[in-house]
Amino acid sequence: MICENCKERPASVIITQESVVGSVERHLCDKCAFHTQTFHFDPNQEPLSIQQFLSHWFSGADPFQAQQQARGESQPGLECPSCGLTFQKFLDIGKFGCATCYDTFREKLPHVLRKLHNGHSIHGGKVPVSFNEMYAVKKKIEEIRVKMKVAIEAEHFEEAAALRDEANTLKQHLAQGGGTSDVD
Amino acid sequence: MSIEKFMRNAVTGWMTAHDEHSDIVMSTRIRLARNLTGYHFPIAFTEEDAMAVDKAVAGVLLDADDSKYTYTKVADLPELERQVLVEKHLISPHLANPDRQGAVILSEDETISVMVNEEDHIRIQCIYPGLQLEDAYNQANEVDDHLEKELPYAFDEDFGYLTSCPSNTGTGMRASVMMHLPALTMTKQIDRIIPAISRLGMVVRGSYGEGSEAPGNVYQVSNQTTLGKTEQEILVDLGNITSRLIAHERNSRELLLAKSRVALENRLFRSLGTISYARLLPSGEAARCLSDVRLGIDIGIIEDIDMSILNELMIFMQPGFLQQYADVELSQEERDIFRAKLFRERLHAERTSASAEKSSEE
Ligand SMILES: [Zn+2]
Ligand SMILES: [Zn+2]
Repeated sequence: MICENCKERPASVIITQESVVGSVERHLCDKCAFHTQTFHFDPNQEPLSIQQFLSHWFSGADPFQAQQQARGESQPGLECPSCGLTFQKFLDIGKFGCATCYDTFREKLPHVLRKLHNGHSIHGGKVPVSFNEMYAVKKKIEEIRVKMKVAIEAEHFEEAAALRDEANTLKQHLAQGGGTSDVD
Repeated sequence: MSIEKFMRNAVTGWMTAHDEHSDIVMSTRIRLARNLTGYHFPIAFTEEDAMAVDKAVAGVLLDADDSKYTYTKVADLPELERQVLVEKHLISPHLANPDRQGAVILSEDETISVMVNEEDHIRIQCIYPGLQLEDAYNQANEVDDHLEKELPYAFDEDFGYLTSCPSNTGTGMRASVMMHLPALTMTKQIDRIIPAISRLGMVVRGSYGEGSEAPGNVYQVSNQTTLGKTEQEILVDLGNITSRLIAHERNSRELLLAKSRVALENRLFRSLGTISYARLLPSGEAARCLSDVRLGIDIGIIEDIDMSILNELMIFMQPGFLQQYADVELSQEERDIFRAKLFRERLHAERTSASAEKSSEE
């Protein structure tokens, strides 16, 4: 079936849209579903795709949302500043719109990821070399800070100042997203 | 074009397996999903984003004097060629849509295929014949390192590689093996095994698409979860399950032979008769018969057909290939007729030449 909205891509998401005349079923592609305003899913759809799985598990019964409502907060708070995806919509379409979404929904994600990944929510695999290098610099800065504290307590102020300069150089490096030549 | 030449040209590396398990494990596939920082994921991005991502990825892979890659914009391909790429498993049906701004970057031998702007910006895919999880992963990993050196990946300390779908978050790796499991299917043991495997964080499905029915008794076993385990652990787990499935399948084959040899022979030879002489061969029947004949060869009941012919026919029975070979669009009935003709020619040619070789040896 072809997407009702763009009439170009195949429809991959079936949504039930509420309107004044009642509920209407719409067949949309991923992209159009992402840009559609309001809808909710029919959880009886088979087979259970990721989006249906997510909306089934979390929509309505979203504990975070329930908490918010209990505290009288107005509905859905979080919205990705980069792509505009809300958490509710993420649950509906089952996809993120950009990498910033992960940051935006950071608190809520472990809950969702654990359901999808056999109870796991923290990455344990490959780390990109560039990220490893950055991580090494961060760790080095932390080490220097500890040494600096010790030096200050022992009133070795000259040593502390040298350490502070070293840490600042590394911080500048990080800010430039750059290399690690001075890290062992 | 002669059929021999067409097949030679169209068969890709992974279709010809020759290792100890190649009777049961047909191919191994590793797929890594990656995204670049600074651009929305394809579900939300603009055409400019799409073009920029495309240019960046192609730039890295093609920009070397000795680059072994070719770049193809999916929209530039005629529909039939897109379909053939899907049937060869080199691109996903999702990427085959010409409106997607997608591209595919293929290595010369087609074992490496990098999809650009599929659900994620980058999908690195390596397909190897037989059971080669380590080798296929190492190859994919090498391409990943190469790309990562030049491109800023979206990565998070907690969540790992950031992907459009949360089911890929973490390693972004989907490892799968395609297995021919006719005896487990015939004895219905597969119905018991599939749920057991899914409890281990793995998933079994038919090899073409998401549905659970498996045309030709070919199943794809892959990791379900991508978060919390290392790539190596995922590969080891999948390897273990594959080995157990191989052992189960072999046991079932022996049991079938011991308990109902005549019934089995009857079924396998009838299938051989069908694909050798049928005038109308719908794809479902063709797949079922090919599976039977393949099993017959594996267990030594059918002797005068080369396995590689069967591998080819499994690929060429698909609609895209058939029409490309026929060089004309075919209706479904025309395809069934053409498929039957192709099978007759191929099997007959093979068996006459095999017996000719035999008689010349004598
Ligand atoms: Zn659409
Ligand atoms: Zn976002």
